[in-house]
Amino acid sequence: MQEPSSQPSGLETPNIESDRADYPVNASSSDDSISTHVGSSAGPSDEISSKTDLTSDVTGPPKPKRRPGKAPDLPIYERRNWLIHLHYVRKDIENCKSLIDEQLNESQGMCEYALYIQALLLREEGKIQESLELFQRTVQINPNNVDNLKQVARSLFLLARHKAALEVYLEATKLNPQNWEIFHNQGICYMYLKDYENAAVSLKSAIQLNRHDTSFVQLAKVHLLQNDVASAIEVYKHAVEYSPENPDLMTTLGLLFLQVGQTQKAFEHLGNALTYDPTFAKAILAAGSIIQLHGDYDVALTKYRVAAAATPESAQLWNNIGMCFFGKKKHIAAISCLKRAAYLAPFEWKVFYNLGLIHLSIQQYASAFHFISGAISLKPKNGELFMLLAVALANLDDKDNAKKAYNRAAMLDQNDPVICLNYSVLLYKMNERRNAAKQFAAYEKRLDGMKRDGKAGEIDSQVYETAAKLSPLLQVGEKFVYKESSSNTSLPESEGYAMSDSSSKSSFV
Amino acid sequence: MTMDPLFLALSLFRRRKFEECSEICTQLLKKNPYDQAAWCLKTRALTEQVYVDEIEVDEEGIAEVLMDDNSMAQLPRPGTSLKKPGTGIGAPTPGVRPMSQSGRPLSGFVRPGTQSARPGTMEQALRSSRTAGTARPVTSASGRFVRLGTASMLSQPDGPFINVPKLNLVKYAQRQNLAKSLFEYIFHQENDVRNALELAARATEACNFKDWWWKVQLAKCYYRLGMFRDSEKQLKSSLRDQEMVDTYLYLAKVYVRLDQPLTAIEILKKGIEKFTGETALLTGIARIHEALNNMSDAVQVYKDVLHYDNTHVESIACIATQHFYTDQPEVALRYFRRLLQMGVYNTELFNNLGLCCFYAQQYDMALNCFERALSLSTDENMADVWYNIGQVALRIGDLALSYQCFRLALAADNNHAESYNNLGVLEFRKGNIDQARVFFQTAQNLAALMYEPNFNYALLSQKVGDLQSSFSAVNKSLEAFPEHWDSKDLLRQLRVELAAL
Repeated sequence: MQEPSSQPSGLETPNIESDRADYPVNASSSDDSISTHVGSSAGPSDEISSKTDLTSDVTGPPKPKRRPGKAPDLPIYERRNWLIHLHYVRKDIENCKSLIDEQLNESQGMCEYALYIQALLLREEGKIQESLELFQRTVQINPNNVDNLKQVARSLFLLARHKAALEVYLEATKLNPQNWEIFHNQGICYMYLKDYENAAVSLKSAIQLNRHDTSFVQLAKVHLLQNDVASAIEVYKHAVEYSPENPDLMTTLGLLFLQVGQTQKAFEHLGNALTYDPTFAKAILAAGSIIQLHGDYDVALTKYRVAAAATPESAQLWNNIGMCFFGKKKHIAAISCLKRAAYLAPFEWKVFYNLGLIHLSIQQYASAFHFISGAISLKPKNGELFMLLAVALANLDDKDNAKKAYNRAAMLDQNDPVICLNYSVLLYKMNERRNAAKQFAAYEKRLDGMKRDGKAGEIDSQVYETAAKLSPLLQVGEKFVYKESSSNTSLPESEGYAMSDSSSKSSFV
Repeated sequence: MTMDPLFLALSLFRRRKFEECSEICTQLLKKNPYDQAAWCLKTRALTEQVYVDEIEVDEEGIAEVLMDDNSMAQLPRPGTSLKKPGTGIGAPTPGVRPMSQSGRPLSGFVRPGTQSARPGTMEQALRSSRTAGTARPVTSASGRFVRLGTASMLSQPDGPFINVPKLNLVKYAQRQNLAKSLFEYIFHQENDVRNALELAARATEACNFKDWWWKVQLAKCYYRLGMFRDSEKQLKSSLRDQEMVDTYLYLAKVYVRLDQPLTAIEILKKGIEKFTGETALLTGIARIHEALNNMSDAVQVYKDVLHYDNTHVESIACIATQHFYTDQPEVALRYFRRLLQMGVYNTELFNNLGLCCFYAQQYDMALNCFERALSLSTDENMADVWYNIGQVALRIGDLALSYQCFRLALAADNNHAESYNNLGVLEFRKGNIDQARVFFQTAQNLAALMYEPNFNYALLSQKVGDLQSSFSAVNKSLEAFPEHWDSKDLLRQLRVELAAL
């Protein structure tokens, strides 16, 4: 009945096969916890009846009635499960597939485990729809197996049918209320359905059952979707505690710290991430931007060089490199880098902002105006942009529009003292003493406000110098030399997807 | 007093008035059918009418490309074959330099072969490139030659001038004065390669295998018949007798067909040793470098060409394009301006000038150039101009204008895949997921070798959770651009999702 020669696999199989022929039950249950209902289906003759048996019996597969000593004299479908499993975990796809085909032919498509593995293989090849159909068949064969239900739900989930997936998961919880995966996936489904409250609850219960990195990440994502950065940071802190060697988690935590302004902590975590994986581009970018903030441009550039080898198409990277060069006063290189960044990410207003800034500082005001107006049309509600626009306009001798731009900037950004200071300088130059004094007062008020918030350290020393020069002038009225203080802002940003659009220039002569 | 008709015919021939020349010769031959001078002149006049430069024109048809059993190695090392152009240093990345429809980096100069890369599958081969302008790709090169032959026959109402099958080739082969013009007639006018080959073989025998010209002609016949190894042998032997630029070029062409680009370059370099500063040879080297995706070397050679001939349009255009895509629009602008000074006056040039001006921040000039380009444009290239105006609008942040421009590009050319892709991106930004998806899908279908629509589609599908579509799209994207980091990252994420239990 069992001919070793019919085995498609290698040399050692005949031996094992003959050894194992009597114990097919345990063969497959090493990690997939598929409860194979071997005992029930003793042979092809009573197979259908045994199936009906199963559906009626909710408590579980009936125990085998045979005595262990007696060898079965009819072929058992599951006898090769262990071999399929072995091939599957070894990623020996070809052999696995042929074995499954054979098995399914023999059993007329009734072998649960073979179907299950075949569906998994199909899914890894990206054929989710086909795999879903196979999983549904396994559920028909054995509706009490939670794994089958889970896979059906997962397939539905992967096909973006979140509601249907959620229903199946809810059904699965009835069968097994202690499975973290079910809760985890439920949470993700809720997240896609934009029901964040339930999502958080499900994910938390998943974490309680079993602490997995993915659950933490998803929970943090839910918090971020609710704009709750503090809780997200807490979640990530827990996650890092449980898996301290995951650079991905640490980097994300670092970035979150950066977002809330805790540079020191952020740098700590990013540095840790880099010690575990020195070529992790995301962490390099973030760490580089922090180094850059401290003015250590050469170190930052060496960091970026590593990242540039891995991700040459990253607009953020080129942006930061450009700003490094700007910090080193290499304007041509800076412009060239920033232009490449703009080429790669035409919707990133920060790149245009930086380009405008550089052109202002090398006194090409018309170009600066164009870049800044481009940035404004991408990001219409930003005070700083309008301030830069006003500076450009003032230098192009369009004082009226410059004033309008300053007004707009002051309206959009209620906290930045620099806007008021620059405005005041402009008004002073236009000999509008009274208004200039008014703006100067506004500047001082905003400065006090910032000092109260403990953010005084962020202000450039140039601002104080200009203010110190301006304040006596407004009272006395002499000639003065003033400097535009447009604070250099290099952008510490590293994540965000780059929607690469094809900037293809057709050129043929 | 009338002029001697033969003298008049000769004069007409020199002035390239071949119709009139052959008419006079016909009358002369009516009077005296054995007038060898008139016969020879008429043969040459008829040949000149359909003469094409064999060295330049060579478009491989589908049959030649797909059933190519001439290439030496089936699995060549990277960088040594035209089938798998190198991706190493100097190769342009598709992330910066866009691809043509057939998956080659955009060239500065359109010539046979730049439009169609060697396709891998029948499906790819059947898809004609957008800029080719014909509905179907060239199916077979030999088919076209036959058609040229029949077309020439139409112009002679009373049958062909020479009835080739009835000729006694042995006799003519002995008479060197007639044989050469007869051969060219048979080869170019009649396109009867078999008889031409026979004549050439007998003629070269008649002059004791000493005449280099006959050997080159033999090689041409062998090349037409697809016997590249014989062709190579004849050309080499011809070079031993007499070194000629043409022969070197032809030999290089044979090696390109054998998929031996490095040998071809070597041959051309040997030619340059003999003929220093020959631009045709130098251009040949540059073209092969470009076909191998080795842009830096190609530009170096193009610069050498300009050293000897500073009005070489192809070199200027290619250097300018290379500078443009390596972030030096100012330099590119100078080269393009030089082309304008030389009298090139067409849409493409103004379009490129406009782009260079824009990226070099000469905004006032840029718009003028685009206006000029639009007024000069034809149906074929109007879409590209609108597309580029759309890009400019994108750069100054005017999304509404750029949307309209891309729409106009589509109105001009319904198959403009780049515009579809960018429209998709714009719709995605607005949040119209379904619209964006449709645009990306259309772009995917139109240009399978562009990675952008595939990647964008994958990203979009992943965002809405449809991982199956995302997975297949990202795989396609990686096929088109294997080093694309974002695609790789996306694929990694998807693998994790799909393999999770």
